[in-house]
Amino acid sequence: MKVAGFLARFVVLFGLAAHCFAAQLSDCHALRHHGHLTEAQACFNALLSAADAFTRAEGYWRIDHYDEANEQFRIAYKEEPTSPAVRAEWGRLFLERFNPKEAATLFEEAIKIDSNYAPAYLGIAKVGAQAYDQKAVEYAREALRHDPKLTEAQELLAYLALEDSNPDAAAQEAHKALTLSSEALDALAVLASIDWLNGRQHSEWMDRVLKINPVYGEAYATGAHFLVINRRYEEGIKYYRLALELNPRLWPARSQLGVNLMRLGFESEAKRQLEECYRGRYRDAETVNSLRLLDTAKDYETVTASAASIVLHKKEAALLRPYVAPELERAIAVYQTKYKMKLPGPVRLEMYPNHEDFVVRTLGLPGQGGLLGVTFGMVVAMDSPSARPPGEINWASTMWHELSHVYVLTATNHLVPRWFTEGVAVHEESAASRDWGERITPEIVLALREKKLLPVMELDRGFVRPQYPAQVIVSYFEAGKMCDYITEKWGNDAILAMMHSYANRKTTEDAIAENLHETPAEFDRAFEDWMDKQTGNTTRHFEEWKQGMKTAAADLESGKRDAAIHELRAIEGFYPDYVAAGNTYELLGQAYMEQNDKTTAIQELERFRDIGGRNVGALKKLAALEQESGKPREAENTLLKLNYIYPEDQELHHRLGGLLLEKGDAAGAVREYQAVLALQPQDPAESHYDLAKALRAAHRMNEAKDEVLLALEAAPDFKPAQQLLLQLSQ
Amino acid sequence: MKSAKLLLLAALALRAETYYVNVAGLGGSPDYEKQFTGWASELDRELRANGPASHVITLTGTSATRSHIREELSRLAGEVRADDAFALLLIGHGTFDGVDYKFNIPGPDITASELASLLNRIPARRQLVVNMTSASGASLAALAKKDRIVITATKSGNEKNATVFARYWVDALRDPAADTDKNGAVSALEAYRYAEQKTAAYFDTEKIIATEHAMLSDDGSANGVRDPKSERAQGLLAAAFPLIRPQADIAKSATPEKQKLLAKKEELEARIDRLKYQKAALAPDEYKQQLTALLLELARTQAEIDR
Repeated sequence: MKVAGFLARFVVLFGLAAHCFAAQLSDCHALRHHGHLTEAQACFNALLSAADAFTRAEGYWRIDHYDEANEQFRIAYKEEPTSPAVRAEWGRLFLERFNPKEAATLFEEAIKIDSNYAPAYLGIAKVGAQAYDQKAVEYAREALRHDPKLTEAQELLAYLALEDSNPDAAAQEAHKALTLSSEALDALAVLASIDWLNGRQHSEWMDRVLKINPVYGEAYATGAHFLVINRRYEEGIKYYRLALELNPRLWPARSQLGVNLMRLGFESEAKRQLEECYRGRYRDAETVNSLRLLDTAKDYETVTASAASIVLHKKEAALLRPYVAPELERAIAVYQTKYKMKLPGPVRLEMYPNHEDFVVRTLGLPGQGGLLGVTFGMVVAMDSPSARPPGEINWASTMWHELSHVYVLTATNHLVPRWFTEGVAVHEESAASRDWGERITPEIVLALREKKLLPVMELDRGFVRPQYPAQVIVSYFEAGKMCDYITEKWGNDAILAMMHSYANRKTTEDAIAENLHETPAEFDRAFEDWMDKQTGNTTRHFEEWKQGMKTAAADLESGKRDAAIHELRAIEGFYPDYVAAGNTYELLGQAYMEQNDKTTAIQELERFRDIGGRNVGALKKLAALEQESGKPREAENTLLKLNYIYPEDQELHHRLGGLLLEKGDAAGAVREYQAVLALQPQDPAESHYDLAKALRAAHRMNEAKDEVLLALEAAPDFKPAQQLLLQLSQ
Repeated sequence: MKSAKLLLLAALALRAETYYVNVAGLGGSPDYEKQFTGWASELDRELRANGPASHVITLTGTSATRSHIREELSRLAGEVRADDAFALLLIGHGTFDGVDYKFNIPGPDITASELASLLNRIPARRQLVVNMTSASGASLAALAKKDRIVITATKSGNEKNATVFARYWVDALRDPAADTDKNGAVSALEAYRYAEQKTAAYFDTEKIIATEHAMLSDDGSANGVRDPKSERAQGLLAAAFPLIRPQADIAKSATPEKQKLLAKKEELEARIDRLKYQKAALAPDEYKQQLTALLLELARTQAEIDR
């Protein structure tokens, strides 16, 4: 009985203490909410002596002792096997400390314990929000369904709506949050962000924030986030600085400041900021990977062109420079005329041979799936052609795309909706060269068939928070087609006029009304009709095409070439944009080659080339066939196109060098043979000799002699080089 | 001195015979079977094209058994002379169980140690073993021996994926680009460099993790290197082991006047070789001046020979 009496007293005492600490935890949060950071710190410190691990965990977490907090949560997890709160709070810690996967697992566990536990739904919503996942919205709503007074969920909805470029909905959601709590700081931050996005430097909403919490830098950081995702990087940086002025220990803001400074090319300050985060134990993927990337700066060299600087990896600078620099200058000259403007300074183009390094540049940005390039103000970062398997990208097309953003963003003072700048950029790719840009992929055909295109007023959402896996790609396609349509119907000046409308802070609705003299609904209807003319044949015959392709492939496999050709001819018009593996052009080319009909095989492969086919093997084969068939200029054309797709191929440069030299284009031949040497050829003697011949043809005799000496140094008995040396020494 | 040794070895090689044994092991699937047999046949054809001084034996399919391999190597042990050259080329799959490397063939496999003891009985002082199988790196230690060049497709027994090195080794024998010194012959070193670079480029281009890293050792040690350099005392023997050579032997039919020119050519080549070794120690201008003079003299001499 004594024992029982003691336990009873302990339980009472413990219960009181727990209640006490719970009240204290809420007090601590209140202190922090109101900006009394020192007092809050002391308050949380006091929680470390709590009897229960859960409260201790909360205490450790808020004084930034994450490992200890994690340890205490682990104990609480065992102590309280039926507590959804322990799981949800532990999940929040994981989410804050860069482990969303573990966080999601814990939130789901909490829901299993209590399917009505709103904070767990909110946790999943927050995980989704980090990844710009559509389920963020669904789960935030679910959280509110279970707890209509969960202010944080309401604030999150406001935040997500603004990410979706819907300021009206965002404001509406924020006001709902404020009705739940007049001190909903994050709702106020969203409202202030709307003001900042609209160019109002001073926001009364921010005044309200500061009255509640004078050191709530998070509000400025929220604004900075929205400015950044709207590609207004410089303003974003300014707001991150304001956030840090209020609270220098706001590590996420400092990290983002560093990341965005890096994006704009301010590398030394970026490094300083990121290193400070690292020292402050804020080591999320963006911080660490950005620091790693900055550490590789020594591996790159900067080439200055007339209106640009080009940053290339040292291992491929010699190869790429002769192609990239003139192409960039050409693009600048074309855009300068087309957009009737000069850029305020030089463009900085960065090309990354390691795709992962490029990915670091895009971390934290929405719609990054499959990105090849990204523009930050005057800085363009992109995959170098060597970053992808041969044929996957056309680097010049990507470069023109990104450079278009530089002009559109500059012309609109970065006040352009995502759909428009992406649409113009996609449009510019095929305007620069008909075979550039992406073709209609089967996933786009399916989206078209299922009428999944978004109305123009909602198209931004397709980029930011896709509702199905292919939606980002479909949105790029749709935006590009919209700009094709505008250009076709109203002329390129309409695009320029829309840019000016956006620069004047007009909405898409206004920009369409002012320049296209339609409502968005009318625009959507007419665009749909136009699109049907463009793609209706493909969408209506897609199934027939698929079946025909299967039959033709089987016929080819079993040696029935005539039947395969017949089938392919019957379906080739249904889906001419299909240039991926197993396309009609290559299959027909193969069938005709097997019939020794080289002429028709060449015709098919030339159609493949001209419609935008990028299979390096097929294009190399085409060039060889053209050359063999006495069509050197066509072979040259094919090889020049290959230079935009896969310049890492020695054979292509060697062949092209020969053709150009034969034609009398000595400068072109020099460029191509220099490319061969830059690729560290298997046979350096032959390559130096080729270059020497081209240099001699270009009347650069001293350089020619140097090259022939290099050839003979590698292979002293190389007779053609010996003869050339004798000729050059006469 | 190094150059003189190389020239001497090359001169000896002109009078000697070369014996090649190609073995294509078990494919395990029709595709690999076809591939391995195909490569071995191509090797056979290219090596036979060297002329009558090349003796080529190729074992594929059911003839590539342990007993056949033992039989052929034992027979050659009695036929090959010390001045001859001998090469064993293995294509297929290999395995490594942590202790023994085994070449996978129909019936019982053959281990690296067993192959080594068979090779040790062949009197040829210059020997080349090209083990192009998966896990072949594990065979290097057993096969390495003074005056023997050992090339493996992988750096260790842990690289277990089917290899592509053999494909490029075969290409090296027929692609003029492999003859990087343009002397008309493809040496084992040139073929190795060609195949090694093409293999690396294959993985790089396909953006897949490289599952094989070829190695060469010809200093008698088990320490193979990926990039053999004379400064590291690796590659010297391989450079002097011709796999493909021009059939016409000019020296045999030369007039006394041409003999003199050929001797002069040989001397100039040796001087160029020596100068190249001194490159790092010379001022760039001085090196260039001397090299130009020697190369011009060599070009003029060659023009005289060809006249």
